[in-house]
Amino acid sequence: MPVLPLDERCVDHKDAVSGKLQSVPALNPKRAQSRHFVVYLPPPASCSPALLEEFLERSEFIIQDLHWLLSLPHDLFWCQVIFDESLQKCLDSFLSNCPRRYDLHPPLPVAAQNAQREIHRCVFLTFLRMSTHKESKDHYITPCVFGEIIYNNYLFDIAKLMDICVLFGKGNSALLQKMIGNIFQHQPSYYQDLNDSVPTLLQVLCSILDVFGLQQDQDLVEPQKLEAQKRSTPLEMPVQELKDAVLYFCDSSSTLWAFLDIFPAASDTFRKHDFLSRLSNFYELCCPELENAIIKRKFEDKSMQTDLWRRLSHSRKKILETFHIILSNTCLQPILEHRAENIQPYIEDVLQVLTVLLPDRRFVCDYDELFPVAEDLNLLQQVSPTLDETRTSYILHGVQGAWADTRRPI
Amino acid sequence: MVLPRLTGALRSFSNVTRQDDYRGESSDLMNKRSKLREQVLESDLTWKKITQFVTGIVDQKEHEAINEGLKEILQAAKQIVGTDYGQEAVESAAVFLLKTFYVKESVGQNETRAIKQMFGPFPPTSATTACNAAYRIVSLLSHEKLNGLSQLFQENGEEDKVLFGKNVIFSFDMYELEKADDIPINGSIDIEDQLTLDF
Repeated sequence: MPVLPLDERCVDHKDAVSGKLQSVPALNPKRAQSRHFVVYLPPPASCSPALLEEFLERSEFIIQDLHWLLSLPHDLFWCQVIFDESLQKCLDSFLSNCPRRYDLHPPLPVAAQNAQREIHRCVFLTFLRMSTHKESKDHYITPCVFGEIIYNNYLFDIAKLMDICVLFGKGNSALLQKMIGNIFQHQPSYYQDLNDSVPTLLQVLCSILDVFGLQQDQDLVEPQKLEAQKRSTPLEMPVQELKDAVLYFCDSSSTLWAFLDIFPAASDTFRKHDFLSRLSNFYELCCPELENAIIKRKFEDKSMQTDLWRRLSHSRKKILETFHIILSNTCLQPILEHRAENIQPYIEDVLQVLTVLLPDRRFVCDYDELFPVAEDLNLLQQVSPTLDETRTSYILHGVQGAWADTRRPI
Repeated sequence: MVLPRLTGALRSFSNVTRQDDYRGESSDLMNKRSKLREQVLESDLTWKKITQFVTGIVDQKEHEAINEGLKEILQAAKQIVGTDYGQEAVESAAVFLLKTFYVKESVGQNETRAIKQMFGPFPPTSATTACNAAYRIVSLLSHEKLNGLSQLFQENGEEDKVLFGKNVIFSFDMYELEKADDIPINGSIDIEDQLTLDF
């Protein structure tokens, strides 16, 4: 006899008050245990024994609880996941607070490292289990109900998905691609959420420019107050502020890239918001100014200068790669794979994007260095012999001009 | 200090996430400890069951020594838990101590951490007393009888459960900073600052 999906099954449950057995839906709050998962806090920045001990104690609680959770049978696992808010807080606090490898963090004692690693693994396995509607032949949830469960209970949201990509994507990309693909496939509302999130992501870029005093007047959403002080530039601002802002830039560019690298299908949503030109404008305004400041400023601690330079270089590369992922997935891949019957709109799109970014000359040079524009144009010429050569020449001249302006050899 | 993050902005300013607060107040750990004690209290394995089991599997002549050991463990549990929580709490703590120490010869870091997790700070001598008493009890049991005791603990514990994903090959690799070119020495990227021989 075929086994019913979990969302249609009923089980016998002993009533806590009367002690009588009663038949209840398998997914039922009464079946979740009151476990009280503690929230995750990052390892202490100092090696104070008391702080370290508290970190270890907290970690031990989380590890034990996640081991317990992962050992639960399918039905009880889902009851706990859906109805235990403390578990959701614990998982989300890990995603928010877990140090990224690119963060500044002093080395940890071995015990703390081991605890950190085990939590890392258990959190991943928990999300892995939460992202699949079919655990085995007999243990599954109706796909559309699964989509509703994960969405309505905020088991996944856009911020969590981005954190998951940046924390686990490096070594687990194949698995993660399946997980995130599965989530979007079974709950298309996540595409709408992504669409609603892009303006906030763009606002983050604006706020980074604002911190560096590089916000252009036309970027301002609201009129400035007359008495509002002009922000200091990267060359003038206090070192600590500069450092914090570079760290924010580094995290933002890395997270954005990690998400798109794992889930390139999100590119279309980003494109709708004019993301490419906003990204190249941001790069153009921010990166040369920051480079200049890091080179010219006098740092008491030389290692900080090197560190900031490295973070900036990393962030620059991530922005360029993000741009390429979006352009590639929305225009170039459909042309290459002949996904569309009529490739003309895609060709037009590529030409349009490349033309629009020409005024951002520094961006053009750096992008061209990593992803040669001539190669993309060559591809277009191959697939479309009737391509307007005037336009491709205009773009190529624009790129050459950008290289000449920045006095860098092509 | 909490670092500003891209996803932090999404959590704070977009309407696509649940708004939560994760400061992790200190009461968080205390609440967890009391939750753990509650769980032990709810366990089917009672002190009475254990005493009956242990005294039931040894010879009559060893009853006195066994009872003495069990009494010491109960006394140690009382010192660790305090008297505020009643006899039931003390007995469940005694179960926990015997379970923790029955295969240990001394109080190690793991045992200390386990007791502290459950009861918070405690007098170390009580743990030593419980450990020594458990050791004396166990030394009176044959290998077969000790297995019986292990089984009693395991039937009521979470050991031997299969973890989801035990066969998943998980990588701990995380994205790192990419390699970067060196900072231009005494250099500048400003065009006007560049060296020129055009006098």
